[in-house]
Amino acid sequence: MGFPYDEANWAVVDGAMYMGHGSIMPGVYTLIAAVICVAVLFIGHKSEAEKSAKH
Amino acid sequence: MEEQLAELTAQVAALKGGGATTNTMFAEMFYYLTIPLMIIIHAGFLAYEMGSSRMKNVLSSGVKNILAFAFMIPTFYFFGWWVYWGFPTGLTLSAGEAGISGAAYASSIAFGWGESAQYMGPNIADNASGVFFGAFALFAATTASIMSGAVIERIQTVGFVILAIVLGSFAWVVAAAWGWHADGWLVTKFGVHDFGAAGLVHAVAGFFALGVLINLGPRIGKFNADGSANHIAGHNMPLTVVGLMLIIVGFWGFLMACVIVPGEAWSWFGDKFATIYGTPITLSALSFNILMAVAGGIIGAWIWTKDPFWMMSGALAGIISTASGLDIYFPALAFVIAFSAGIIVAPAAAWLERRGIDDAVGAVTVHGTIGLYGVVMLGVFASGYPALQGEGVATISLFGQIVGAVVFFLCGFVPGYVVSYILKGMGMLRVPEGAEIAGMDTVKIPAQGYPEGIPTSPAPAE
Repeated sequence: MGFPYDEANWAVVDGAMYMGHGSIMPGVYTLIAAVICVAVLFIGHKSEAEKSAKH
Repeated sequence: MEEQLAELTAQVAALKGGGATTNTMFAEMFYYLTIPLMIIIHAGFLAYEMGSSRMKNVLSSGVKNILAFAFMIPTFYFFGWWVYWGFPTGLTLSAGEAGISGAAYASSIAFGWGESAQYMGPNIADNASGVFFGAFALFAATTASIMSGAVIERIQTVGFVILAIVLGSFAWVVAAAWGWHADGWLVTKFGVHDFGAAGLVHAVAGFFALGVLINLGPRIGKFNADGSANHIAGHNMPLTVVGLMLIIVGFWGFLMACVIVPGEAWSWFGDKFATIYGTPITLSALSFNILMAVAGGIIGAWIWTKDPFWMMSGALAGIISTASGLDIYFPALAFVIAFSAGIIVAPAAAWLERRGIDDAVGAVTVHGTIGLYGVVMLGVFASGYPALQGEGVATISLFGQIVGAVVFFLCGFVPGYVVSYILKGMGMLRVPEGAEIAGMDTVKIPAQGYPEGIPTSPAPAE
């Protein structure tokens, strides 16, 4: 991914400085994070339902 | 002479630059510090509801509360922040007069992808977006925590987390967009003033909890066959009372975060603090009124109950009942209103219990009922005050505050009832009876809250 500015020098940085700035990667990371949240809720519910069913 | 003038001009420019830098750093630090202070609110709610749980449920109550916080932050990042900026003018999502609202504006600053991502991540030219987001995300976490205590000891974890997301990243955010934004239609059309979020945070969360409680039902053993209620004591009253005090500590950060600092491009003024509506405020006003409200609420509750739980709940009720007008109340008036809130809080909770609602910590009353009471009280005492900065703006009125109270009630109750009803239909709301009787720690927590019990202390050294 690399440094998001043409020159690898902090002196040229005048705005966003996160990894992936200017590319589609922030959107990809956001999507992955959202999918993780949904998947954890799904798996968590399944696990908890199995434990509760034993009582 | 010309050289001296040029030198002087350069010095003035350097001073201005230095002053601007200091102001920007102050503004960023101001909001940054509200975030850990508001995390203390969450710590308080954690202690409060763990203490209010019986020993067999103490850790599961804690897990639920911690998860609410953990899911609130990313979901508020994904879409809650967008809702705040997108919804102020109503469901049309159109732009308002202040130019900082509507779907197009929200999409340009509040999404974690595309061009707007520059405002949702590290940016050397943006010292404001992250700290504003953080403060609002903690408001969201507060709403989830308010609901969390009411539903302890019988709700499913994931069902609760889904409800917390709906409340914290959508329901209260819509109320905030409408009543806590310069373009909010409740503000521009009805002059609604709710500086410290008595209605749009507390009442929304409290009545969301009521909607959930109706579908969730009471804990086993709470009510007898004739409808009379039994008191289900928590396992640790001191923990609960300390938790309530922590919530009050955190409220100072909460209310600090309701203030707009001066001197920045996004500020209302160059030289003084403002409310979110652009009306002037000082931190001294907050100091006077919060302290008097805390005192009034405690004293009012003590008269009626003599119970430390209700005394500290009275302190919360005192702040919440005056929160709408902490910027303009006279301190003695804040004391009187808080005192009255302290008096009514325990009887109001008992009234709700007699209607078959098992609110384990009194959240519906303390936050919901008292929140609306506070919104309406401001209409009684502050009618005629301009609700916004500028010429010809709407003024605060009793009618406007009542309209606001009704809207805040609906923003909480309707989604709380509807989503919990759907979850109930899907079997995701309540734990099975056997699990509830056994205790939820035994069922799903791989740890013990008190592995050695709570033994008597050993004898002191000679």
